[in-house]
Amino acid sequence: MITNKYHNLLGPALLIILLFFAPLVMPIYWVMILSEILIMGLMALSCNLLLGYTGLLSFGQGAFFGLGAYSAALMLQGGIENLFLILLVGMLLALMAALVVGFFSVQLDEIFFAMITLAFGMMFFSLAHNWIDITGGSDGMPVFNLPSLSLFGTQLTFYAPTSMYYLIFSVVGIGTSLLWFIVHSPFGLILKAMRENKERVSFVGGNVKKLRIAAFAISGAFTGLAGVLFCLFNSMATPDFMHWSFSAKPVIMSIIGGTGVFLGPLFGAAIFFILEQVIIQFTENWMFFLGIVLIPIVLFFPKGVFGTLRDKIFHPTKQETK
Amino acid sequence: MNVENALRIENLGHSYGKFKVIEDISLSIDKGELSALIGPNGAGKTTFYNAISGKFPPTKGKVFLGGENITGLPSHHVVDKGMCRSFQITNIFSELTVAENVFSPLVIQQNKHFKLYGNLFRDKQITEKAMTMLEQVGLADRAEQLVSSLAYGDKRLVEMAVVLVRGPSVVLLDEPTAGMNPKETENMISLIKKLAAIYGTTFFITEHDMKVVFSLAQKIYVLHQGHLLAQGNPQEIRSNEHVQEAYLGRKVNA
Repeated sequence: MITNKYHNLLGPALLIILLFFAPLVMPIYWVMILSEILIMGLMALSCNLLLGYTGLLSFGQGAFFGLGAYSAALMLQGGIENLFLILLVGMLLALMAALVVGFFSVQLDEIFFAMITLAFGMMFFSLAHNWIDITGGSDGMPVFNLPSLSLFGTQLTFYAPTSMYYLIFSVVGIGTSLLWFIVHSPFGLILKAMRENKERVSFVGGNVKKLRIAAFAISGAFTGLAGVLFCLFNSMATPDFMHWSFSAKPVIMSIIGGTGVFLGPLFGAAIFFILEQVIIQFTENWMFFLGIVLIPIVLFFPKGVFGTLRDKIFHPTKQETK
Repeated sequence: MNVENALRIENLGHSYGKFKVIEDISLSIDKGELSALIGPNGAGKTTFYNAISGKFPPTKGKVFLGGENITGLPSHHVVDKGMCRSFQITNIFSELTVAENVFSPLVIQQNKHFKLYGNLFRDKQITEKAMTMLEQVGLADRAEQLVSSLAYGDKRLVEMAVVLVRGPSVVLLDEPTAGMNPKETENMISLIKKLAAIYGTTFFITEHDMKVVFSLAQKIYVLHQGHLLAQGNPQEIRSNEHVQEAYLGRKVNA
């Protein structure tokens, strides 16, 4: 009988416990860094739904991240402080925008797809940058009132770093679990099939364009969720979120961590930020050194740092089936 | 005509600009018949397949599947109507397991490809059908292996399973034995015969290897420079002068 391949639950469980207790032993500064890692990790995981699972390289994810962030900022400025509502609206807005962008982008493939998503991203960037009445232009849109949530008798708010960390941890945890279910669903299998061979998908009856639009929309929605969180974390939405260079971040994180492993992009985000923190102590030009680190990673870790290490440690017998 | 043909093609033509690759091809294949399309390299066999299977619409003519006009439909609709195909170069999902390869067509057929939750390995409607198919092609014991780790001949068998698992009424096989060793070839021939008997599938194959053609096909169509040169049963084709002159006599078979 066909069985499901190993679903190693030990690793994820360990990770959750570690992340749960981390703030108890970490200085506040690192709790903030960890919060940022989680948010950008969620963005990278969403991006990897396209890159690693569907085989599509999007350079426009920043647009959906920014939409989530701006919708949160606008709602909070308008006096709406319900956390669930803010998260939901941010996700839905990003979902709808991604449906439209996806509809046009999936008409083409590979580098052309990447360029169209980049162009759409920059359109959103210009909107955010120039529509000063609504977005505050390049100054960004500050948020003064942050939502809070009463959970099991404890009041969690975005004002205190540790409390904020737990809110972010919960939302990212839920988002990541949902993405995990999607990746392992029938839809997820067809995404991987499209990555492997889109012509064959179409020749077993699948409508490749429709399926790609769906993947793009879902990825956009979770990217929007990350954007909402970042706005709450940052107390600010800025047009930079929508710039193509910001859209490149989740791509880089995914590649560093490993596009072929579900949690790879999350680890990529961690490596990215920790490297930044270490290098920035010595020089301001940390991007230069990021480049120096990135090159050997691409060369020597073909499945990303996490993917390659996992294969070496846990499956030493069946390496490189290719 | 009381019984509809499985596949009927009327005056099919395809051209790139002014260059006519295939022209004025008409043929009709009965249900359950095993037929072959032969012709030297460049005769237009693959173009013909592509034009009727929805890879691109033909520039002229009509295609009927079970009496229904399917001319110019995109490939995924052609598959829904009941015609699947293989390709000259193995066309499957190499970094997925054998089982997942066979699951994919079933997921789409059962309309579960937009289902965002649930574990396929526990979906009996899919696993049981997939297992039956894999047993028939002889890959049941390799269900959990990655396709990329299989030998060439086994990859071709995976493609057969992927093509057949939806239970299509018509199956186009583009050179099913290309690149195979004699033993694999023999295995493929008996597999096609076996599956045709089990499912009553109408197979339409292109083939370079004349031995394969004459041992499989009940009816043979000869394509030469884009035109249908002859059609008939193996005896008729063997004795057809035009065919001998244009094709068999030259021993194109390298």
